Amino acid sequence: MAEKTIKTDVLVVGGGGAGFRASIAARERGAKVLLLSKGPLARCGASPMAGADFTLDGNSMNKLGREGDTNDSMERVFNDIVSQGWYLNNQRLVEQYVKTAPVLLKDMMDWGMEIKMSDQRMIFTSGTHIMDVLLKKARSVGVDMLADVALLELVTRDGKVTGGLGLDIRTGGFIHFTAKAVVMATGGWHKGFWPNTGMRDLSGEGIAMSNRAGADIGNMEFITFCCNVFYEPPMWLGSIAPYMVSLICGGRLTNSRGEDILEGYDPYVVKTGTMTEWNKSFISYASMREIRDGRRFKNGGVHYSRGDASWDYMKMVASFVFPDWRYKSIDLSPWAKMLENDEPVEVGPAVEYFEGGIVVNERFETGITGLFAAGECALGAFGANRVFSAITEMLVHGKDAGENAGEYAIDSKAGEADGGLLASLMEKAEQPLLKKKGESPPCLRRHIQEMAHKHLGPIRNEAELKEFIGFLEDVKNSQLKDLATAGKSRTYNKEWLDALELPNIVHLLEAAARSALARKESRGVHFREDYPDTDNDSWLVESIVKLKDDTIEVGNRPATVTKMTPPKGKIPYLDMMKKMMKEHSDTGGKH
Amino acid sequence: MTEKRLKVKVFRYNPEVDKEPYYRDYEIPHEKGMSAMDALDYIYQNLDSTIAYYDHAGCSLGICAKCTGRINGVAGLLCQTEIFDETVLEPTNKERVLKDLVMKRDQ
Ligand SMILES: Cc1cc2nc3c(=O)[nH]c(=O)nc-3n(C[C@H](O)[C@H](O)[C@H](O)COP(=O)(O)OP(=O)(O)OC[C@H]3O[C@@H](n4cnc5c(N)ncnc54)[C@H](O)[C@@H]3O)c2cc1C
Ligand code: FES
Repeated sequence: MAEKTIKTDVLVVGGGGAGFRASIAARERGAKVLLLSKGPLARCGASPMAGADFTLDGNSMNKLGREGDTNDSMERVFNDIVSQGWYLNNQRLVEQYVKTAPVLLKDMMDWGMEIKMSDQRMIFTSGTHIMDVLLKKARSVGVDMLADVALLELVTRDGKVTGGLGLDIRTGGFIHFTAKAVVMATGGWHKGFWPNTGMRDLSGEGIAMSNRAGADIGNMEFITFCCNVFYEPPMWLGSIAPYMVSLICGGRLTNSRGEDILEGYDPYVVKTGTMTEWNKSFISYASMREIRDGRRFKNGGVHYSRGDASWDYMKMVASFVFPDWRYKSIDLSPWAKMLENDEPVEVGPAVEYFEGGIVVNERFETGITGLFAAGECALGAFGANRVFSAITEMLVHGKDAGENAGEYAIDSKAGEADGGLLASLMEKAEQPLLKKKGESPPCLRRHIQEMAHKHLGPIRNEAELKEFIGFLEDVKNSQLKDLATAGKSRTYNKEWLDALELPNIVHLLEAAARSALARKESRGVHFREDYPDTDNDSWLVESIVKLKDDTIEVGNRPATVTKMTPPKGKIPYLDMMKKMMKEHSDTGGKH
Repeated sequence: MTEKRLKVKVFRYNPEVDKEPYYRDYEIPHEKGMSAMDALDYIYQNLDSTIAYYDHAGCSLGICAKCTGRINGVAGLLCQTEIFDETVLEPTNKERVLKDLVMKRDQ
């Protein structure tokens, strides 16, 4: 028996920006709403880690009282997002993003969001501030919230959601949630990789459990790496501070032979690929080229130093981005000295964002009745590569998903949960606690994360992907079945949680690796050494993953096109990247 | 070259089973620039996976403030306090321990 049962109309799973925005919208429609957050309220997931930029068209910005750019338009932003996504975007979702962004920004400003700076196309604030504004608003409209609670599995009956099984991480007790509608807003699955830039709660259960329950997931091979992430010292590992400095000020990247790693690339691609968010594709690719060819340093990365960038300018930028050389609570002053003296620090690419996720339609409905999805866990607007703001996306799509879920819940009856199913789910979840001896969850997790970093980076090939899939199959068939915790107490048992998260991580890694293997071309943040061209004749399709009797099947469907016709022909990857970069409209602003 | 090793003494208490709190010593390899949280991660992954510290949703970068503890008697963020030598790790308030270094929720 579950320790307790909690009944609500709309269950929102995830306490990042998408989850909060969905909860507020569903509540404003009149539904009773419960938000589950795996970690502390408004301080977990990727949202509080963001810089954060909220991006929209300059003309609407101008109308909202910021400078903006009156020559800009929604059409231009639409075209930029679609070309930056290498034409794999769901154009219906992009239209929605562009249209709703100004409304959302106004809401946030009305609710007290302060803007630190703005340019022609974006306003900049901090992720923690956005979360504080949302938390306050959610409280004021009466959203119920539970922190440190994870949903483990969805419960469905006759193809319809009836709720789910959760775990109170502090007590170790099961909770049975019953709901008329569920909004999945669980973000990315950074924890599948080591190193990564995300928080430790992001392990992908939301995407995996939706797939298990019968919803399709898609474009899992498109994984963005943030470039120039600290690889040392251990205390800063995974922080994106060098990325932020290099994006604004430039700097120098060298390999273990002391060579400048960007020499030899097309100067236009180097410039745009360094000083705009295209760097996440281009610099990650160029750094990974060196790393894979053995010209790496001891932690597996490359060196970043100030190079020719002006120290005065860097200091000025830092005083703004990291006042007193503090970034959040990190004391970066030792690094400031290194930069001033032009001493290098080891950096490299690390997983930061997932373009793929749960397949949704323009109402944010999934393939399961009553299950909605929004934010980073949904297959959204960005296609094969994201340059525009994910913060805008999580708010825009979160609001729509919440409204639709709220409306649906009010008009429908609660389904009956299947008691037998619940009992078997609990029994399965308890296995690692009951087993006396077996595989250690934390050891296995770390091994899988390192294998994923090695085999599923921005540069891939058939042999490595096959090797990785073989490894995952072995893990699935042996170690995963044999996980056992050393401690048997239920109270805050991290090993148990690791054991519960791992099958989800393995599921998503396999979906991503199989999708990457199937895609015989290079596009967006997926470069295949053995298929180095972008193939617009055969591969303008989204990868679609179905789970059938525990087996992952990768198929595809044509990209959703409404307004902008994709190009034709086969083009070498970096030439295609340059073409995409050049297609950017001539507005100011970096996005 | 022999690697430098560090002694880390950790406060342990699981009120469900332990009558009294106690301390356990661990020896870990030292890496330059490692935090108290890095030390706990090493212990958890390699030496003793029964240890509890709030990390299931930690940021390890000084953002969430959930890893507050006492490092050699001084309160601070475990993830942003560098350790150099013998280190003692304790909760901020021993009366309010849920398990080891994890505190009960604020009321
Ligand atoms: C370091 C970093 C910096 C970034 N900077 C920017 C930026 O400047 N601009 C920008 O546009 N984007 C940025 N991004 C991306 C952006 O922050 C994310 O895409 C966005 O915040 C995702 O929001 P979300 O609500 O979908 O998910 P998240 O904010 O990740 O929230 C997911 C939530 O789901 C919860 N959860 C997960 N699993 C479960 C479960 N089983 N049960 C219950 N809850 C669960 C988590 O605890 C968390 O609360 C950045 C990302 C990172 C990692
Ligand atoms: S783990 Fe978040 S502040 Fe230390």
